[in-house]
Amino acid sequence: MKGDVSPLRFARPHRSLFQKYFLVLFVAVVVPLIINGASDAWFGYRDQRANLSSRLRAEANSAAGQIQAFLDGIRAQMDWTVQLPWTEGLDERHQFDALRLLRQAPAITEVTLVDGKGIERLHVSRTDPDVAMSGVDHSTDPAVIGARAAHVWFGPLTLHRGSEPFMTIAVAGARPSAGVTIAEINLKLIWDVISAIHIGQTGGAFVLDGGGRLVAHPDISLVLRGADNTAISPLRALQKAAAAQENEIVNGFNARGRSVLAAAAPIPGPAWTAFVEQPTAEAYGPIRAALWRTGLLLIAGAAFAFALAYLLALRMAGPIRQLEEGAARIGAGRFDHQIDLRTGDELEGLASRFNAMAGELAVSQERAERIGRLKRFLAPQIAELVENVGQENLLESHRTEVSVVFCDLRGFTAFASEVGPEEVMGLLGDYYDALGSIIMRYEATLTCFMGDGLMLLLNAPLPCPDPATRAVRMALDMQSAVQALILRWRERGYVIGFGVGIATGTATVGRIGYEGRIDYTAIGSVVNLASRICSAATDGQVLIDPETAAAAATTIGVEGLGTQPMKGFAQSVPIFAVKFATGRLMA
Amino acid sequence: MLARMALLILAAVALCSGAAAQSPMKVFRIGLVHVGAPGSCILAPGFADAFARRGYVEGKNVIFERFAAQGRLEQLPEAVDRMVSDKVDLFVACGYPAALTAAQRAPGIPVLVMNAGDPVETGMVDSLAHPGGHVTGVSEVASDLSAKRLQLLKEAVPSVHTVALLWNQNDLAMSMRVAAAQAEAKKLGIVTQLLGVRAPNDFADAFGEMDRHPPDAILLVADSLTVINHQAVFDYATAHHLPDMEELDFLAHIGGLMAYSLDQDEVFDRLAALSDRILHGAKPADLPIELPTRFHFSINLKTAHNLGLTIPEAIQLRADEVIE
Repeated sequence: MKGDVSPLRFARPHRSLFQKYFLVLFVAVVVPLIINGASDAWFGYRDQRANLSSRLRAEANSAAGQIQAFLDGIRAQMDWTVQLPWTEGLDERHQFDALRLLRQAPAITEVTLVDGKGIERLHVSRTDPDVAMSGVDHSTDPAVIGARAAHVWFGPLTLHRGSEPFMTIAVAGARPSAGVTIAEINLKLIWDVISAIHIGQTGGAFVLDGGGRLVAHPDISLVLRGADNTAISPLRALQKAAAAQENEIVNGFNARGRSVLAAAAPIPGPAWTAFVEQPTAEAYGPIRAALWRTGLLLIAGAAFAFALAYLLALRMAGPIRQLEEGAARIGAGRFDHQIDLRTGDELEGLASRFNAMAGELAVSQERAERIGRLKRFLAPQIAELVENVGQENLLESHRTEVSVVFCDLRGFTAFASEVGPEEVMGLLGDYYDALGSIIMRYEATLTCFMGDGLMLLLNAPLPCPDPATRAVRMALDMQSAVQALILRWRERGYVIGFGVGIATGTATVGRIGYEGRIDYTAIGSVVNLASRICSAATDGQVLIDPETAAAAATTIGVEGLGTQPMKGFAQSVPIFAVKFATGRLMA
Repeated sequence: MLARMALLILAAVALCSGAAAQSPMKVFRIGLVHVGAPGSCILAPGFADAFARRGYVEGKNVIFERFAAQGRLEQLPEAVDRMVSDKVDLFVACGYPAALTAAQRAPGIPVLVMNAGDPVETGMVDSLAHPGGHVTGVSEVASDLSAKRLQLLKEAVPSVHTVALLWNQNDLAMSMRVAAAQAEAKKLGIVTQLLGVRAPNDFADAFGEMDRHPPDAILLVADSLTVINHQAVFDYATAHHLPDMEELDFLAHIGGLMAYSLDQDEVFDRLAALSDRILHGAKPADLPIELPTRFHFSINLKTAHNLGLTIPEAIQLRADEVIE
């Protein structure tokens, strides 16, 4: 467990908590913003389009009305010339009418007065000599026929010298005898009308005839380019599109190639169509401004969300990272590490839990180490007990009544010098395995190993009832366990025996040793006695001293073997052998 | 990451507010070349006024370089060359010789013409609708108007039978106009007396010819030579009680009997409009030649009185302007 475990030894997660929190918080703010902005834009666009549609259509109708009014103005002037019936010859009133018409209608370049029979009486022109009574027969002229049929007749668009647009208007009088007046109209003069129509900032109007020829446009040069005019093909495309979907605005391009929205309205007299156009960019200017605003708000919102998400994620992920680092340090064994979190929330609680846990871990580890030490000479459960009860004072040195058990193998030294070390250690392993479980069961305290020999204490450091009897029973179990082993060893040809000696008496018990190596042992003549008795025991024997015998005799059969002189003891000591349950002594 | 994001946002904001840098106002240079006298035709104040109405203020965003040949046509090439070296953006020429000189000597520079006859007939452009070169402007219908003038003259003074045509024989446009007038005169039953002049001194010869064969009226075909020498003609007409018909309205104001002319203001307005288009990048080849639509008929009753003439009511009714 000890050793510097770096936090980096744990694989870093692929995506950090910070990133996750940041992403979630950021998205939580930005997505509603975007949805809101997009819906605003969409509904704004729809409203604007509907608004534009009605506005442009109204403008188109107004433009058509103005063109119609221009033509109607000319027609109204012409009406005066067909009020009076013709008499023989050229009367002055008709001549004045014709001249007045030229003065009052600047668009008219020449006027022809035809009498009730369709014969030309007078021709007046701005650029050519006037002709009176030419007698030319106009009765089959479509202008005369058309005017007689419908009072007013509008001729087709004609191009003077392939450039200047002209149109014929013929007006018939209420009475056939008043004749017909035919006027040539210079359509360039519609420019005054058409150029005065402004749609928005840069939009305008134009007029196409039924055949898609340009009649009027604010750019007079475009009109003058005549029939061979590729520049107006986008305008024709608009005408087609407008014809396809009536009453709706259409998208297209104007003569300059700019994207425009256009609406059309018919001019019924000459069967022309008036168009109004507004550049798309300008028409959608307001919604574009709104879009910019929305976009800027979105950016500002996103920046705000970014900052907010960053700070929040930092506040959430920071302590967790601190906890993670703290946990890593504690994990590395640094139990003194304190995680210093003052967030005032659950995380702070978690941190104090961590700190508490580290403290407990430190205590627990210290205990574990102590138990480890105790286990070396105490049976594990006793060690735990001593530790749990916290009765370390049990280990303090004192004098007490103990039963001391010595046991060792007979003939082991000779055996060990004859066979290989593996064989020796293998045999010892089997031997201690057999004894270990018994020692633990009887909760005896193991004070030391000496090769094949063992010294065990009962009633110290933990007192137990009737330690002498307990020692004898344990010795019997040990004997039977080892004797089972000895049978197997004999099969292998090893001549090894096992003897046990027990003495009971008062001894000084306590810990002895130095820093890093402390043992628990008993000191006193009873220890020497037990050792001596053990030496006296032959294979299969459990010999005990009188004290032990006196204690155990009530439940276990013992047999006095007489007194024997013992080395280190002034007088001989009476020795007893323990009888086995079967009643026979081990031979 | 934060820094990169911030940079992106900054860049976006910078793009949004990207102020369109306004270029400083360009000053255009226009060469005005006139065959006649200073202060007349395109050198008259009305011409600059037409430009001013379109936002071209002389000395501020337009500079006019003016040249009046005063009839000395041999000076035209040098004047045009000087304007070319001054890098004019545009020429406006009044009178056929000026138009021709500019058209020939400044092939890369747009040329707008007026009073230069019919540019299709003189071969300066391909057609009215598609001029095709660097020349455009306002055509005259003056060839046609000659007949109209003769008709009006005859209506005003019904006794007129022979009309003397005084014109500059060196001017192709004028010669063509005279030829057209001659043909129209025949239809009206008028006999024409052709008096071509080439230099101021030639007027004496013309007057001598009229002394020998007195006409009933004079039609002064206006070009720089004839207009500059108008006073001599007026003096001769007054002395011999000859009614005269003029082509420029100002001649009726200063002693001529009648004038049937183009509406000069309309022509100036169209020239200013075409100049505006060209200065904004339009190609002259794509700008059709325009025909005048308005005409101006002036009668000077003072001159009529001096000549001992009574102008009929009917013809006075037609006049746009009656000078009393």
